[in-house]
Amino acid sequence: MNTVGERRWVNAVFGLLAWLVGLVFFFPVLWMVLNSFKGEQDANTSPKLFFHPTMDRYRDVTKTTRGLLSFREAFANSAFVVIVSTVIVLVLAIPAAYALAIRPIPKWRDVLFFFISTKFLPVVASILPLWILAKDLHLLNTRTVLVILYTGMNLPLAVWMLRSFFQEIPHELIEAAEIDGAGLRGQLTSIILPMAAPGIAATALLCVIFAWNEFFFAVQLNPAKGSTVPIWVTTNISTRGNFLAKLSAASVLASLPVVLAGWIAQKRMIRGLAMGAIK
Amino acid sequence: MTSVRFEKATRRYAGTPKAAVDDLDLDIGDGELLVLVGPSGSGKSTALRMLAGLEPLDGGAIYIGDRDVSAVRPRDRDIAMVFQNYALYPQLTVAENMGFALKQQGVPRDERITRVREAARVLDLEPYLARKPKHLSGGQRQRVAMGRAIVRRPAVYLMDEPLSNLDAKLRVQTRTEVVELQARLGVTTVYVTHDQVEAMTMGHRVAVLKDGVLQQCDAPGTLYHQPSNLFVAGFIGSPAMNLVDVGDDRPTRIGDTTVVFDAAGAAALEGAAAGDVIVGFRPEALRVGDGPLRARIRTVEDLGSEVFVHLALEHRGANLPLVSKMAAPFAGRAGDDVGLQIAGTTHVFTADGSRIVTATSSLAPR
Amino acid sequence: MSTDNPTIVGHKVNASWRQRWPLLPALLFTIALTQVPFAMSIWYSLTNWKIIPPTPRKLVGLSNYSTLAGDRFFREAAWTSIEMTVVAVLGSLLLGTLFALLLDRKFLGQGVVRTLLITPFLMMPVVAGLVWKNQMFHGLYGVLNWVLEHLGGKSVEFVSRYPTWAIVATLIWQWTPFMMLIILAGLQSQPADVLEAAKVDGATPLAMFRQLTLSHLRPYMELGVLLGTIYLIQVFDHVAVMTGGGPGSTNVPYFVFERSIGGGWVFGQASAYSIVVVIASIVIATIALRVLSGLLKGEEIA
Repeated sequence: MNTVGERRWVNAVFGLLAWLVGLVFFFPVLWMVLNSFKGEQDANTSPKLFFHPTMDRYRDVTKTTRGLLSFREAFANSAFVVIVSTVIVLVLAIPAAYALAIRPIPKWRDVLFFFISTKFLPVVASILPLWILAKDLHLLNTRTVLVILYTGMNLPLAVWMLRSFFQEIPHELIEAAEIDGAGLRGQLTSIILPMAAPGIAATALLCVIFAWNEFFFAVQLNPAKGSTVPIWVTTNISTRGNFLAKLSAASVLASLPVVLAGWIAQKRMIRGLAMGAIK
Repeated sequence: MTSVRFEKATRRYAGTPKAAVDDLDLDIGDGELLVLVGPSGSGKSTALRMLAGLEPLDGGAIYIGDRDVSAVRPRDRDIAMVFQNYALYPQLTVAENMGFALKQQGVPRDERITRVREAARVLDLEPYLARKPKHLSGGQRQRVAMGRAIVRRPAVYLMDEPLSNLDAKLRVQTRTEVVELQARLGVTTVYVTHDQVEAMTMGHRVAVLKDGVLQQCDAPGTLYHQPSNLFVAGFIGSPAMNLVDVGDDRPTRIGDTTVVFDAAGAAALEGAAAGDVIVGFRPEALRVGDGPLRARIRTVEDLGSEVFVHLALEHRGANLPLVSKMAAPFAGRAGDDVGLQIAGTTHVFTADGSRIVTATSSLAPR
Repeated sequence: MSTDNPTIVGHKVNASWRQRWPLLPALLFTIALTQVPFAMSIWYSLTNWKIIPPTPRKLVGLSNYSTLAGDRFFREAAWTSIEMTVVAVLGSLLLGTLFALLLDRKFLGQGVVRTLLITPFLMMPVVAGLVWKNQMFHGLYGVLNWVLEHLGGKSVEFVSRYPTWAIVATLIWQWTPFMMLIILAGLQSQPADVLEAAKVDGATPLAMFRQLTLSHLRPYMELGVLLGTIYLIQVFDHVAVMTGGGPGSTNVPYFVFERSIGGGWVFGQASAYSIVVVIASIVIATIALRVLSGLLKGEEIA
């Protein structure tokens, strides 16, 4: 805001304040990264800024031990579950958003309410029946059950956001396509998907974030095989000995994929949250 | 006494070679309604925003009264502005919109209410005082935008294309109201429009801008009858002036006729440097009948009170379209072969746009 | 937007089926995944199903619900849930708005600062909980205590002495970026010419904020509160990892967890608790949905 008459220093002061706030707010993350490079001695004493950096903790947490969950396994599980569930979410949500936005069915508001209302049901309330169902269907300790649950978890949000993005598409384009004979698939591929691509990307990113970071379902339904990264992080807490540096290294590794994705796509995510949420 | 003065005012945007407003010099008198007109990109809105303090100056200065306001904040300039899209405060009622500036100045509530009521009465907005902008029609919103400005008593009114979003009929109606209002209030007003009809009918004086440069600033009549360059000649007046490139032949010829100037015109033409010239004459100066210049009628536009005849003829190997304004009734039809004669003011311009002379002329057969 | 049966040039469409079917996969999936467990929970809540000691399951009607009515631990958990959610939502909204205001200007490195500020939201809740517990709040090695001591104070065992507030602080840290992004979108969606008009009309930046911006931000704030509440009311990870529910920091999700598969194994009773929570959520949801429909109505007028 380069405004006339504003004293030059006002902008600089606010800029400085913003930097200060940003650094302070980010500090815990920074500290975690620093700790991950320390030896356990250094980490488990009063905060030290200077130390001998070492990659040992990273080696510790990524080595594979028989009988214990390894990082590689947890990462593979998480990646699988997150990617598959997000794809399924998009496959289900895109047509649903079409039905709610492009050619809205008469009761579209009620349907939207219903989707959002499922998020109000505390996850904790349904865990018991879900656990029993999973057991009976032999789905405990599998990746499949997590895929199903994460899809259900993210679907309402995806429908909500995609609907708003689809609403942005000028109606005349859809009408022209219909006159030209394009059905649902034609309209999707030639008009809707290209135009709403940033919105779809933002939605996918949010689904990935929530699914990757999810802990409760993962820990209830997958104590052994099929465990995901959040669970793996908690295995790095031990009751004997110092573990802080190791935990930090594990935390850094666990958070890295999503943090990087969020950083790269932040502009899209902002647009996504704004438009998808408000309009 | 609040005059407004632009002194070599300049605005440059980083990355563009030409200035948006280039060395603008304008002197606006107290109580005058000055119109800034030009095609899009001409810098007229930028100049207005510089006066408002919404754009900074990269050179020169701007004075309101005797005060150099070049570096003064908008809120300290004592101006009121009507925006093209009205910029009404969406969450406030009409009354609150109009009273907003007074509230910022600390005017006590009772006085605010009185002044808002008064302005609402003048603009026929009384029934809508409690409504929010989203429940108003376009015309009503436009009046609220005007009301927001007139409720104050600023030194200068700034208006940025305030009528351009109204439908045609409403626009003509509102135009008159704005002129009357300004005359009554007597506040110096700077008015921006791209519509030259609006400019001609509203301003005491009109400043024509092109590419950031002032072309001419004069009373409407002067602009019409004595355009100082080719651009102004072609921009002002509708339909546009007939402009014919006659090359560097002397005497000047159109089609296979010669253009015969009066004494003053002939002298000026002789005294001017050799080179391509352009001859211009308005549609009302071109008579369709049995004149020496043969042409064919393309279309006839019968507007009831007058008739615009669109013609075509061959000139210097290419097709030359011309427009003539004739009184109704007009007997000719599309496809007819007719003869044209010039009977009125003729302007001569050099190829680079400057005016050589304004004189009278007529066509004579070769 | 037309909601009645549209006809396309030339042929009439069987609007019902052709319009509806794209919605069905998502709808059916969601119904199956949410309503079936719900029905099962109702069923279990009417039994006395226990695993330890193993008891044959038999219908006991509403007796689980009457136990619940007298269970003061449940009441405490409910109260803790409310405390946590309200403070976390409002705290992150306030902080998020302040941050958004800071970020709304142009300054050197604005993109970097924004990147720094959104990172907490991207972090895994369990990681955030562990980092705050062991590195920031820690009694001996914690950074906060280090700062405190250097300022002349005494070190505080944050997590032990203020378990609920320690969790709330971590929640606010993680959710402020979310609110910030929503409010930032609101700030940037203000039409520029309205702000210019206010400048010309003599408004100071503070007056502009109070009289114009705040009312413009209202729907954005409401949305932030709505979405934030949906997610924060269900917080589990932080409680599990930071305090294990210790002194008074058990919220309802953790409470139900403890009673069921988290060690209590009283499935019948836990189900009753879940149903009560669901009913309470529905009440809250109805209120929230009123807000929602206000937001959606706004679309129609525009």
